[in-house]
Amino acid sequence: MAYLEIDGLSAFYGRAQALFGVSLEADQGDIIAVIGANGAGKSTLFDSVMGLTRTQGDVRLEGESLIGMGTSTIVRRGVGYAPERFNLFPYMTVRDNLLVGAYTAREDIQNNLEMVHALFPRLKEREGQETSTQSGGERQMVSLGRALMTSPRLLFVDEPTIGLAPRVCNEIAEALRRLRGEFGLTILIAEQNANFALSLSDRIYVLESGRVTAQGTHDELSDDETLAAAYFGH
Amino acid sequence: MLQILIQGFLLSGLYALIAMGFTLIFSVGRVLDLAYGAYLLIGGYTYFHFSQTLGFPAAAGLALAAVVGCAMGLAKFRLIVKPLGGGHVAVEISTLILAVVLQAGVVLVFGDSSKILLPIVPGVERLEGATVPYSNLLAAVASWIILLGLYCFVRFTHTGRAMQAVSMDARGAVISGIDSDRINAITWMISGALGALGGVFFASYTQLYPGMWVAPLIISVAVVIVGGIGSIIGTLVVAHIVGFMEITVSALIAPELRGVVTMLLIIGVLVLRPRGLFGREEI
Repeated sequence: MAYLEIDGLSAFYGRAQALFGVSLEADQGDIIAVIGANGAGKSTLFDSVMGLTRTQGDVRLEGESLIGMGTSTIVRRGVGYAPERFNLFPYMTVRDNLLVGAYTAREDIQNNLEMVHALFPRLKEREGQETSTQSGGERQMVSLGRALMTSPRLLFVDEPTIGLAPRVCNEIAEALRRLRGEFGLTILIAEQNANFALSLSDRIYVLESGRVTAQGTHDELSDDETLAAAYFGH
Repeated sequence: MLQILIQGFLLSGLYALIAMGFTLIFSVGRVLDLAYGAYLLIGGYTYFHFSQTLGFPAAAGLALAAVVGCAMGLAKFRLIVKPLGGGHVAVEISTLILAVVLQAGVVLVFGDSSKILLPIVPGVERLEGATVPYSNLLAAVASWIILLGLYCFVRFTHTGRAMQAVSMDARGAVISGIDSDRINAITWMISGALGALGGVFFASYTQLYPGMWVAPLIISVAVVIVGGIGSIIGTLVVAHIVGFMEITVSALIAPELRGVVTMLLIIGVLVLRPRGLFGREEI
């Protein structure tokens, strides 16, 4: 039994179907990349696991089904989410944004704050700043930090590098590596920037029009000329 | 002049308390609760019944009014707002109908004649020609204390931060583990308690009558439209603008025009600055 099992997951917005029987597995401590073009269903997949869409199929974390649970219960079960558009609280300070993340994990506030500040020292320096006045990179750090304040075992990160300078992308990548290495988190990353995803991940899933069309390690997928040309630039 | 200043401050504090419950719902729930004035109606009559008819101490009457307001807020959320989902127009029409129904209920129980609420604290203070009833002073001081408590609650507690979070980005709040239904229910309860307490103080300024829910609703709508926000500080500022305008017009022009200026202010802001004076969505 894998640590995370997504089994035949379909998702719907009203009558429109956005995912078609997606299956995916991750072992504890894995970094899994989900790559695909804009609109392929990467964000929908993550939203669906978080209970934010109407779904069919199953999602199991350590054998326990998450389907039918409300999002707040899924967060309490140890699933953190840093969404593509951040969804931060613009007129709150960095510190208060992080403390909102601690809503379900109040006993861990001090340890989690120390972890977030160790990963992103800039958030400590700017803890009194409103997030509405921050750069995209800083907001991404706050978004990741807020997700970490929920004490997750499993972390979903949607498009962490979109619109960011290469230097900031490197900081984010380093933080994700440390989260796996030092804190043992299992991480799923949705990315259009396939090379960023490849540099981090153990396994890659290619999503096209709501379906998994390929999966494997970097080496396995690189052997497919079409995929390599489409996503890896070689 | 001193009279205008004193009366302005006293009335504005009360207006801030009255408007706060309404703006909280607008900010967190994103709907206009057009039955908000009914909290004041029921709160006022609850106090009247327990303290004046049954002889309970004033503090007990106030506490019971707050509890009834709380229960009304929770019932309104569970029975009307939540089942209607995100339908703003449906919520607004339903709450307006609810206010009319509650008014009819009050007529049925208490009759349709006005009732004088005895001063919560009897006596007056005379200050260089200005007369300040202790009841009005209590209303203002209690309003300030309640608003300060609310400010601390919203700023420094997990539940308060969750209310801010839902008001700023509901999706962000949900993925942070916040149960937005629970936060909405708490907000509706706080709104009900604030409205009911405001009703007791408002009735001590004026009198109790079944149609008394309309004027506070207009004041609350004015504060939301003029402020364009649901923030505590913003509500205080706008409540003072409305309060001082009313007192000044009442003293210098004609008392009959008191409510008219508030309505003119609403229209003026809607035409000239539809997003309100502040335009930030926060608590």
